[in-house]
Amino acid sequence: MRVGDLFGLALAALWQQKSRTAMTTLGVLFGSFVLAASLSIGQGVQDTIERESHRSDFLRKITVRSNHRGANADSAGKQVEVAGEMSDAKRDRLRRAIADHSPGKPVALTRDKLVKMATLEHVEAVVPMFWLSGFAVLDQQSQLASLAGVRPESIDCRRRLIAGEFFSSSRQPVCTVSEYLLYRWGLTDEASIAGVLGKKIRVELRGPGQQRGLRLVLDKPEGEEPTLEETIALEKIKEQLPKVLDFFPLPPDQSRLLRGMIEGKDASPASVVSEEFTIVGVLRAATPEELKEPWDPLRVSADLILPYETAADFYFRQQGTEERGIDHAVVVVDDERHTKAIYQQILDQGLTAFTVLEFIEQQQLIYLLIFGGMTCVAAVALLVAALGIANTMLMSVLERTREIGIMKAVGAGNTELQLVFVIEGAIIGSLGGGLGVLLAWLASMPGDAWVRSMVAHSVPVELKDSLFVFPLWLIAVTLAFAITITTLAALYPARRAARIDPVAALRHE
Amino acid sequence: MPEHSGSHALDGQAIRAVDLTKAYGHADSPVYALRGVTFEVRWGERVALLGKSGSGKSTLLNLLGGLDRPTSGSLDVAGHSIARLTGRQLARFRSVSVGMIFQSFNLIHSRNAWQNVKLPLVFAGQQPRERREVARRALEAVGLAARFDHRPAEMSGGENQRVAIARALANRPQILLADEPTGNLDSATAREVVRLIREHVEERQATLILVTHDEDLAAACTDRVLRLIDGQLAT
Ligand SMILES: Nc1ncnc2c1ncn2[C@@H]1O[C@H](COP(=O)(O)OP(=O)(O)O)[C@@H](O)[C@H]1O
Ligand SMILES: [Mg+2]
Repeated sequence: MRVGDLFGLALAALWQQKSRTAMTTLGVLFGSFVLAASLSIGQGVQDTIERESHRSDFLRKITVRSNHRGANADSAGKQVEVAGEMSDAKRDRLRRAIADHSPGKPVALTRDKLVKMATLEHVEAVVPMFWLSGFAVLDQQSQLASLAGVRPESIDCRRRLIAGEFFSSSRQPVCTVSEYLLYRWGLTDEASIAGVLGKKIRVELRGPGQQRGLRLVLDKPEGEEPTLEETIALEKIKEQLPKVLDFFPLPPDQSRLLRGMIEGKDASPASVVSEEFTIVGVLRAATPEELKEPWDPLRVSADLILPYETAADFYFRQQGTEERGIDHAVVVVDDERHTKAIYQQILDQGLTAFTVLEFIEQQQLIYLLIFGGMTCVAAVALLVAALGIANTMLMSVLERTREIGIMKAVGAGNTELQLVFVIEGAIIGSLGGGLGVLLAWLASMPGDAWVRSMVAHSVPVELKDSLFVFPLWLIAVTLAFAITITTLAALYPARRAARIDPVAALRHE
Repeated sequence: MPEHSGSHALDGQAIRAVDLTKAYGHADSPVYALRGVTFEVRWGERVALLGKSGSGKSTLLNLLGGLDRPTSGSLDVAGHSIARLTGRQLARFRSVSVGMIFQSFNLIHSRNAWQNVKLPLVFAGQQPRERREVARRALEAVGLAARFDHRPAEMSGGENQRVAIARALANRPQILLADEPTGNLDSATAREVVRLIREHVEERQATLILVTHDEDLAAACTDRVLRLIDGQLAT
């Protein structure tokens, strides 16, 4: 028998029972539709996460912080002895509780740590991040200004440059100033902005000194910050206060009380660190659109921006910073493939660290589980559809007993009859599967628009490509699954058909 | 399957049955439809098989047509030892070596005359173009040129039986097996059907086994009469 005739017979049988064929095909269609749709959005979301995370380089960045809770209290503290009659389990629990409650040694993000991280393989840069403010003095005029260090490569800073140029190295005595700082200095017209370039700016960091004794604070009417001159004047008063205490018209006991507070304390003067930088450029503030862009741990906004190593040198000249270290640092890895390993090495040093990679992997896992679940449900839907097919075909085998008997009487072989039924199943599978994929593809367009509008409402992320993808493997997998499962469903009815005894079939009329 | 008609065909025997039995039902309480049937039919011979209802005529014919296998005994038809054929060979045997006609026509209701006739050709693996032509000629030969696309329900009993004859002859089998082909027909139509069968058998020098309980019919168109009584041949 010819292959074409096998298909011809299968098609004729399906055609003869159009409504039954349509119903079973519809079952497969819906199963395949859900399968294709869930595979499609599952893959699409994974792709989108992948793509969005590669759009900026934040996968290569690790944020490192001091560990204030202390490094691994368990390993730091020696095994504690717990006395008393008790089970080993209880002793273990108590031991752990004691360890949890005894403070570990806090690990500060010190200069040594920064240097150590910088020497790790695959680490491109370690950018210290700290909040620093000091007095900037330009042409004898001072302004309280914030200060930050950035990498010379910073794209964010470079595009905000409106005059001059950006740094060429990570350690040089230069800085950029913000448009706003210049405005506060009264430099507003374009010519004066350009005139600032090349000028030297002096920056003074004034630490409060030893935090003991009296503190003098100047409250200005509009909540303005005190100027450098005012600050220096206040410090002078504080320094001279013990000597002039007697001149105040105070009752003797109050005078004694105040003296008690001031005297005997280590009245070290305020620490002052000062340095000069050449202004090389002027930066504008970030636009609201720029602020909407994916988060970047290296993005800073400050009045004065220095090359990050110069900024770090300057920072660490302050008293007490060697022990205290800095708030946090951003470690830039040369390739995101190494991010995880570096992240682990940093944790091993007792520091705390955060990387978006971890977060993204978690997200991907969550979506994988969600869409994996959906896919399973879809697969079950297809299985149910297949059971429907098995049932329907079994019925049609019974109905067609006589016809099958006749076919056998005129020369149909068992294998051939069996094949005809299996092909019927395969045809329903490919038809339903194909239409299901097609429907999923058609539905993905309004579906994508819908998901897009939901995303637009809740997150400030602009999705460029569709959340539904239809790669070839998806079409192939859906079709293959639909066809396989319907073919398998047809197997039993097909065997029943082949086993029909022609003599018995022809006897009942 | 190769046509190994072989030595049997040459020694002139179309059918050779030796001590043929056929039992139905359970092995522990079998009902014997045939109890030791032995006979031979030469090529080109026309034999009538007579017997009362339930005597085993259809059972014997089904064995000859390869629709069933004997319980015991040996049976050679057109050079094939029926008991030894594989399922596949048996199917081929049914489509090519024998043609069968039944009392109840046994046409497929959902297919028209032409589609019914070409069915054995389809199973024999004939080319679509060729078999279209063969089926057309077979239908013309039984006088149904105008009925190609009529379904069984749209035709009379006589016409249905003529379609069945066309189908049985489509593959030009050397042996024609007819099981009470006129049983469901009125006498005029029956005569017409018998005439057709005889005409084709004579024209092709085919071997005919005609099951009937009509003595006149048997005498009119066969050379020899075999009588079955309770599953045994009368001597
Ligand atoms: N499939 C079967 N199962 C059980 N008994 C059967 C079957 N086919 C035929 N028989 C029995 O075998 C006997 C012969 O039947 P059959 O060959 O049809 O007779 P005929 O064609 O001469 O009327 C009958 O008694 C019948 O009841
Ligand atoms: Mg009978």
